Amino acid sequence: MKRLLRQIKSYWQQFLSVAANEYRTIRSDEGVILVLVLALLIYSTLYSFAYAPQVLHNVPIGVIDNSRTPASRNLVNLFNAAPNTYTAYEVSDMKEAEQLFFERKIYGVVYIPENYEELLLQGSQAVVSVYADASYFLVYRQIFQEVVTGINLTGAAVEFERLLAKGTIQPTARATTQPVIYQTHNLFNPYLGYGSFVMPAVIMVIIQQTLLIGIGIIGGTWREFGLYKKLLPTDRKRLSALPVVLAKAAVYASIYAVTTLYILNVHYRLFHYPMNGNPWTVAAFMIPYLAACIFMGIAVSTLFRYRENALLLLLWTSIPILMLSGASFPQQAIPEWLYTFGKIFPSSSGVSAFIRIQSMGASFEEVLPEIRVLWSLAIVYAGLSCIGIHLITKREFRREHGDAEE
Amino acid sequence: MAGFISDTAAVFRRELRRISEQPIYAVLTVVLPLVSFAFFAILFEEGVARNIPIAVLDQDHSTLSRKVTQMIDDTPTVMVSFEVQDMPEAERLMREGKIDAVVLIPYDFEKNILSNRQTNLDAYVTGTNITVNGLLAKDIQTAVSTFAAGIQIQLLTKKGLTEKQAMAQLMPVRFVKHILFNPYTNYGYYLSPSFMPMMLLIFTIMTTIFAIGTELKHSTAKEWLDTAGGSVFAALVGKVLPIIIIMFIMSLAMFVIIFNVVGVPLNGSIAMLLFGSLLFIVSYQAIGTFIITILSNMRLALSLGGGYSVLAFTFSGLTFPIMAMYPAMQVFSRFFPFTYYTDLIIDQAMRGTPPAYSIPDLCYMSLFILLPLLCLPHLRTICTEEKYWGKL
Repeated sequence: MKRLLRQIKSYWQQFLSVAANEYRTIRSDEGVILVLVLALLIYSTLYSFAYAPQVLHNVPIGVIDNSRTPASRNLVNLFNAAPNTYTAYEVSDMKEAEQLFFERKIYGVVYIPENYEELLLQGSQAVVSVYADASYFLVYRQIFQEVVTGINLTGAAVEFERLLAKGTIQPTARATTQPVIYQTHNLFNPYLGYGSFVMPAVIMVIIQQTLLIGIGIIGGTWREFGLYKKLLPTDRKRLSALPVVLAKAAVYASIYAVTTLYILNVHYRLFHYPMNGNPWTVAAFMIPYLAACIFMGIAVSTLFRYRENALLLLLWTSIPILMLSGASFPQQAIPEWLYTFGKIFPSSSGVSAFIRIQSMGASFEEVLPEIRVLWSLAIVYAGLSCIGIHLITKREFRREHGDAEE
Repeated sequence: MAGFISDTAAVFRRELRRISEQPIYAVLTVVLPLVSFAFFAILFEEGVARNIPIAVLDQDHSTLSRKVTQMIDDTPTVMVSFEVQDMPEAERLMREGKIDAVVLIPYDFEKNILSNRQTNLDAYVTGTNITVNGLLAKDIQTAVSTFAAGIQIQLLTKKGLTEKQAMAQLMPVRFVKHILFNPYTNYGYYLSPSFMPMMLLIFTIMTTIFAIGTELKHSTAKEWLDTAGGSVFAALVGKVLPIIIIMFIMSLAMFVIIFNVVGVPLNGSIAMLLFGSLLFIVSYQAIGTFIITILSNMRLALSLGGGYSVLAFTFSGLTFPIMAMYPAMQVFSRFFPFTYYTDLIIDQAMRGTPPAYSIPDLCYMSLFILLPLLCLPHLRTICTEEKYWGKL
């Protein structure tokens, strides 16, 4: 019993000395402060500013109006009045339109043929051609939505009038023109704001990546300065790596508790991102998410021999990991085995769970499967961290003794 | 001049030796770029999303409601995976991440249609993923329009119109859509020509900062400068030249993957693309050189350079267009060579723009190359004064 108490006391002291040392290392390394503290704040702010207008309006398009009749004017005016497009240029032929296209002055062309009004008055079908640039998906979408809506509205109005002219009564004419009134409602992000869509995922990925890189730099520092053997007791016990892992984890958790609270409360309000989550549910998610990221960071950090390695080797993974989370790129378009592989990163479960809690208002039970995965990842990576640190100290111990004998 | 060439060559040889001695160089310039290109090639293999699960709340349970459900299910992106009894159930499925949309078919759907009255049909699509939202909204709308058109034709032919007359009647204005440059609206075509160059630029800037920073960290900067016969310009050129060559070869590999594996159309000028890639690589090397020279501290320079390099994607305007950003952000977006390179690739790979239109992009990228020239004297200082060395 006494031995156990003494053991616990020594672990506690080790915990404190490692934690103090870790704070000191972070404080004295601007590179680490930049990654662990500032990166999350700077990135969130810059990205949010970039996406702050949220919606793309007034995409310039060109119109070739060969009809030049009241009917064709009406159609052109519809595109102009719509929020997403405006007629920037009225051009005389395709060649001129092409020129403007290449100069990036217009992103779509509507071609109204000469016989447009004539055909409409005759009661036959007029054909309007729409050319839209699909090299920018958002631009493409806005043009099509607006132009198609405009054309359909015009068509429906013409059909309605024709039916009335033939003596059809109004309700029947309406039902013939539009038998099904179809409406799409966008849930949780009614205006389809780009920032509200992408930022929750981006913030989760930044949290994970800055933790992986920041902890990795410090892991490299430990190796370069031989801190592992300094901070681990020489009478290595099997469990002796655990206080080290926990102390490190506590230090990073304390930093991220502050920055994450800022992001989720202040930053979220500043940029009006959806906050439908119950704060307790958010907390019940953030704790395993941060734990999984931190322990993964510590486990990975044992692989780095030099402090610069973490940045050099991990930075590029940020975009692939964001893609793998299925948050911006549809999950159904990712090969299934690759998506499953992505589950080794906390972000893959974390992004989905976070969006559902914070944007959709999901309850704890509704994200329980993801929370289970996150806790499992945390435990597995904590175990791997202990093993990693154990192996390093064993190697350093052996090397030192080998050197001593020579 | 002859002296400059022999000095540069001496540094070049020294650099090749260093590169062959330190495996991290091969990892950063060959292994990881290829791994990342392969990742995106695999990620975009399918290119389009299929069978996104949705739910249907069918209150009508009629032949017509089943028909419209079937038509929605038959579209490429939608898969009707759940039949729910009420909206709360649908909402729960959505919050559980099992569906991305729910279609509500109201009571009397069939009865209204058959008795020539208007009826409603509503789709509730999640806005938390705009890409998925766009795909679902488009396909559900198409299915419903086709369904409605079928009803209209029936109604009109009943009145004695021929099918052609009925078509002209119900759709007085028909539109023909032409999707330019990416006719299949394939994600691979859209994203891989920008994600892969992102990888290229990250590795270029990181390797450059590392190659110079490591001279300071290990206090070999003086030796580096001496190899160049004291010419700081020769020292810099000799140092970055091997990286330029390797990264340019990597950009060729990237183009082979983009055009031959992913299958992105190549409609423009290959010469412009290659020349642009060279400028792109050199401009990021210039920025890397500038950062490490000013900071003379590798860990900080890597953090800052890394941070800067990742920002480029957002500010290229490929996903959220620059024209939609605030004016200040539009100006900010000009400070990334990647912005011009994205324009160049879209113009010269996909659009087939006449090469002359891309010359401004090349000029802007070239401007970044002047950066290190401004700080050459400082580079000499940090290479000769010991107080700048050994900072880890």
